[in-house]
Amino acid sequence: MGNILKVDLTTGTLRSEPISEDIAKKYLGGKGYAVYLLYNYLKEYESKGFSPTDINPLGPENVLIFATGPGTGIPGFPCSGRYHVMALRSPLTGSIGSANSGGEWGPFLKFSGYDMVVIEGASEDPVYLSIVDGSAELRSASDLWGKNVFDTCRILSRRVGGKNISVACIGPAGENLVRMACIMNDEHRAAGRTGLGAVMGSKNLKAIVVSGKKEVPVANRDVFREVSRRCLETMRKNRVTGEGLPTYGTSILINVINTAGGLPYKNWQTGVNPYADKISGETLAETYLTGRRACWGCTIGCGRVTSVSSGPFQIIGTEGPEYESIWALGGSTGVKDLDAIVKANHYCDEFGMDPISMGSTIAAAMELNERGYIPKEDLQGLDLKFGNSTALVEAVWRTAYKAGFGKYLALGSKKLCEIYGHPEISMSVKGLEMPAYDPRAMKGIGLTYATANRGGCHVTGYTVSAEILGIPEKIDPLTPEGKAKWAKLFQDFTCVVNSTVNCLFSTFALGAKDYAELLSAVTGWSLSEDDVLRIGERIYNLERVIINKLGFDGKDDTLPKRLLEEPMPEGPAKGHIVELEKMKEEYYRLRGWVNGVPTAEKLKELEIEI
Amino acid sequence: MSCVLVKVLFFATFRKKYGVKELTVNCDGTVKGLIESASKILGEDFLNDVYDREREKVRDDLIFAVNGRNIKDLGGDVKLKDQDVVSIFPPLAGG
Repeated sequence: MGNILKVDLTTGTLRSEPISEDIAKKYLGGKGYAVYLLYNYLKEYESKGFSPTDINPLGPENVLIFATGPGTGIPGFPCSGRYHVMALRSPLTGSIGSANSGGEWGPFLKFSGYDMVVIEGASEDPVYLSIVDGSAELRSASDLWGKNVFDTCRILSRRVGGKNISVACIGPAGENLVRMACIMNDEHRAAGRTGLGAVMGSKNLKAIVVSGKKEVPVANRDVFREVSRRCLETMRKNRVTGEGLPTYGTSILINVINTAGGLPYKNWQTGVNPYADKISGETLAETYLTGRRACWGCTIGCGRVTSVSSGPFQIIGTEGPEYESIWALGGSTGVKDLDAIVKANHYCDEFGMDPISMGSTIAAAMELNERGYIPKEDLQGLDLKFGNSTALVEAVWRTAYKAGFGKYLALGSKKLCEIYGHPEISMSVKGLEMPAYDPRAMKGIGLTYATANRGGCHVTGYTVSAEILGIPEKIDPLTPEGKAKWAKLFQDFTCVVNSTVNCLFSTFALGAKDYAELLSAVTGWSLSEDDVLRIGERIYNLERVIINKLGFDGKDDTLPKRLLEEPMPEGPAKGHIVELEKMKEEYYRLRGWVNGVPTAEKLKELEIEI
Repeated sequence: MSCVLVKVLFFATFRKKYGVKELTVNCDGTVKGLIESASKILGEDFLNDVYDREREKVRDDLIFAVNGRNIKDLGGDVKLKDQDVVSIFPPLAGG
């Protein structure tokens, strides 16, 4: 078992604690272990008479956890180059904060000698945390404050020197407490969702630089070698993980989802984008793509390297955009100029913002503006009309610096739309902007969005895989029948993947049985497929207990009115709405929940002690 | 035998391999007939890429949609009509 580094920024003290094998057996690592720790922070607060609902997401009482898992950093463990970040409360949603990122930071943290980093309190002055070869210390970041993500990564990498260096940091958006600010690492990788960059900003923590050479232990090397060989071979032979994703990256989905009538266009007013092909993965490959980049130890390599060589949106040598960013910054805003989308995505990386929430908030503002709900003077010349490429790019940097109308955009779509009196225009769940799949055209993802603990999220349980892509089997996207079972299964299994900590893309080729074998080999425990899914269910339920304490229950497990009441106007899903209540009733029954709250019997059955 | 005109859209590696985004195909209204007619234009490879001859159906790992609906969700055996749009994708995913 490894170690947890606990950092109290208020006092400037650092301490090391061992990972508990008993807790790891129940919650693995990564997300699961972090959820367990966060729950205990809540209990401690409650014991001191402090209500969880009084936690200020941007106050020193919020807790931020960076976590790797038992698979992280092991050569031959498929797609194990990631880390998970969690916070007690998201400044964007008020629910639990949760995000995941690739690149190299996760493995390099482990090589530095720690499995997890827990950040408590807040520093008076800007600091960064340096963890090099097991030695951790806080240093002044006064010279880094104000710098963008790329400069911060490069300066700190040079400062440490040598090999295996990785920097996770915030850009100006995090410093300025923009509610959709990311934690960025390795320049272009993001723990993107729920505004955790703003939590770092509120703590005056600019960056965490990690470096080291420590080998990650494997309990049973011979067994692991064999299981790893088989899993990697499966992934290589699989036409998705071995061919489709490496060739085109994630943006290849644009045309697929549009064909199914589920690519939200102009703030979800329809699911058919007439210009989808112009912003598709195929077009990106023909125009701006110059290379690809893989995360540490990844055999897929879905990352895109791009350049726009000329014109007003010129940018030389950037990464992305991937499917979600193309959709949010392009499809949802009605922008069809791929060069503008590449540039807007680059700014999101440079300033450290989540492109999904950014694009969706701009799209909501465009709809508010076109319907005449925003006074002209508030916009200060920003021509927020659907399809306006220049306004898109300008809106992104204005948000990072809270300049002009950017101060409203920086609040996220929910608060923006509330300010202008039309909350129904925010396409969000629990305050988190939904990603690029309209559930009127694929009902299961609607149930997942509604019941996801962190809010409108597709990677909490990617039912799109079965509904549209036919993985692991094809199910009809337009029926609500049977979707509860799939949503629960995907959510539980995803908890396993995020606690391992691995890339979800591995699951296009590998299942729970493969994970059980991989985990058994590296931990030395004997885990079956049922065991790992039960761990996943336990994690999902404890996370639910936390959000219940934060004030969320069945009333919040819902979708925007547009998806529940406005039939899809065109395409293969024409006439469809989301039959959420019907699916939710079955889902709660399968979960053992009442009104979005786990019953005492369910918690006991899962051996969750509260 | 009925004769229908169907628009076929190609994506991802199919678009690259066959150098075509879109094709209008004259066929007998069956999925097999459509693929055979298209393969007369695109070559024998196309038939092998898209059709499982042993099982006499569209290859299981493709996304083969008629007017946006995956034929697996339509029962597999679809009668094509004039002006139907068929979209063909190789195995792919994202997120």
